[in-house]
Amino acid sequence: MATAPNAAGPTARAGGRHSSIVYSDDRRWAEHVCGFVRDGLTRHEAMRYFAYATEPAQVLRTLTDAGIDAQGAVRSAQLVVESVSSGYRADAAFDPDALIGQWHATVDTAFADGYRGLRVIGEMSFAERDAGEADRMLEYELRIHHEVFEQLPLTGWCFYDRRLMSRERLGLLAGAHLSHRGDSVAEPALKVAPLDEAPGFRLDGSAGYDTRRVLAAAAAALTRTPYPGLALDLSALRHLDAESLATLARAAARCPGSTPLRLLRPPPDVRRLLDLFPELGSRLEVVAR
Amino acid sequence: MTTRSRVTAVPGHRFPFFHPAFFYTGPDSYREGVGGFVRDAVADGRPVLVAVPGPRLALLQGFLGPARADVTWEDMTRAGRNPGRILSLIQQFADRADGARVSIVGEPIWVGRTPAEALEATRHEALINVAFAGREADILCPYDTALPADVLDRAHRTHPFVGGPGPYRPSTRYTDPHKVCRDLDHPLPEPRDAVSLAFDVDTLGRTRDAASAWAQAAGLTYSRRADWLLAVGEALSNSVRHGGGRGVLRMWCEDRSVIAEISDQGRLADPLTGRRRPDPFAPNGGRGMWIIHQLCDLVEVRATEQGLVLRLHLETA
Repeated sequence: MATAPNAAGPTARAGGRHSSIVYSDDRRWAEHVCGFVRDGLTRHEAMRYFAYATEPAQVLRTLTDAGIDAQGAVRSAQLVVESVSSGYRADAAFDPDALIGQWHATVDTAFADGYRGLRVIGEMSFAERDAGEADRMLEYELRIHHEVFEQLPLTGWCFYDRRLMSRERLGLLAGAHLSHRGDSVAEPALKVAPLDEAPGFRLDGSAGYDTRRVLAAAAAALTRTPYPGLALDLSALRHLDAESLATLARAAARCPGSTPLRLLRPPPDVRRLLDLFPELGSRLEVVAR
Repeated sequence: MTTRSRVTAVPGHRFPFFHPAFFYTGPDSYREGVGGFVRDAVADGRPVLVAVPGPRLALLQGFLGPARADVTWEDMTRAGRNPGRILSLIQQFADRADGARVSIVGEPIWVGRTPAEALEATRHEALINVAFAGREADILCPYDTALPADVLDRAHRTHPFVGGPGPYRPSTRYTDPHKVCRDLDHPLPEPRDAVSLAFDVDTLGRTRDAASAWAQAAGLTYSRRADWLLAVGEALSNSVRHGGGRGVLRMWCEDRSVIAEISDQGRLADPLTGRRRPDPFAPNGGRGMWIIHQLCDLVEVRATEQGLVLRLHLETA
């Protein structure tokens, strides 16, 4: 079992280094890209741009037009712009476990090459093409806060193009980041985000049949996060239905370690459901409001 | 005539399941008929559950003396406040007996029940015959002869046997329980002033929020709002999942209750839905109606050709 986050590695402001960037036109996209690369050059960090909807040549042309020596950065291998189908790889389906391992290896390589860190842009609109892939995408966005950004000197900007994504999915995926730049997004019925202060997640909104896929993604993140003592902050939750609680209870039973999953400040619905179904609480610990 | 005949001595009682209505006229006949039934069952070593209104509990406990320790007691005015949850209670008791023959006294209708409650209690009585068909059980249902005539008449339709006054005998008016339920599905009275919201899967969350806000404005307490939101939320989800994908929620206040009505195009394929405690870990749901019955003070069910209507009542005080 892995050690809990914050035990080693660059913990400071991990939430600020993993950001959702939402834009709706090419000009704003260019401003974000150029600002990001300028900072990377200044900080002497390795940079990767994973393009899904944009041609790599367009990325380099945009940087050059802005006065950035993109070709020089490419020649020195400080900047790599590559086209991917999904999941940051050209030849594979989206796999959070593989990707999380990949970031650790890529940061190691950047250090070996003499850089002070790694910064990455990923175009995430591929999540729109398949609901199952979008669910795994949400699981990934939730997990990497603790498993990657709290462990590594990595800065990640997840690019969400409003023109290519549904309103609800954009709100959900952008909402899974603790830092946000660019256009505002609609609040989804149920939002999930990582906790910044402890290993775990936070639910915000109303959980029912309509949000079962979101709950399932959160449950997958809980069961696959390799740290004991996970917490789920429910203080911003207005409602949690029985099926959602059962999903969380099943996830709690599969969480690593022997400590129960802590439900922080849940709405009264949760206590009422646990009165009706005490067996759901066998691996849950309710921490009252 | 005797009203305290051992049920095992009843002529015609050769089936595993025996479900008589016992009509009593006062404390003496209650002690003799109901108390005698309980005393005999305890003497036979059977698991015994008595679920009757509070004052009757005290009467029976006094009658039984020390033997009362061998009986499971429930105040029906609480456990059976909503008649739709009684069947779950007695099935759980019977399940725990692990195959042994059980004896149960269930008095779901008492003087003071509203007509709507009495009607749903009649539905419960009919469904006992479906739920316990073939099971080893005696379920005695006392009826106060001071109850309205239509209630007493329906008891003859929902019980295969009747007794008191007079010995237990087959009820000549006993009716197929499914037909009884259909006969109870007459239209509900229209509310005078209801808030109406159409919903589908895309608006479920907003509809839950609207229901919660409405209940708060209507004066429902913080803890009861949780019950309201859980019950209404489960009903909304059922409409989306099983009721044609959409429905209409109406909410209004009536006397000291708040009422939510959820109507959709669904069918109640199994009239026992929600009347047995579900496995909370079941991956395919099945919890909704049971939760609704547990949390509400009354659930009115109407299954018609046009669809399914649920009216959920929660007292505000």
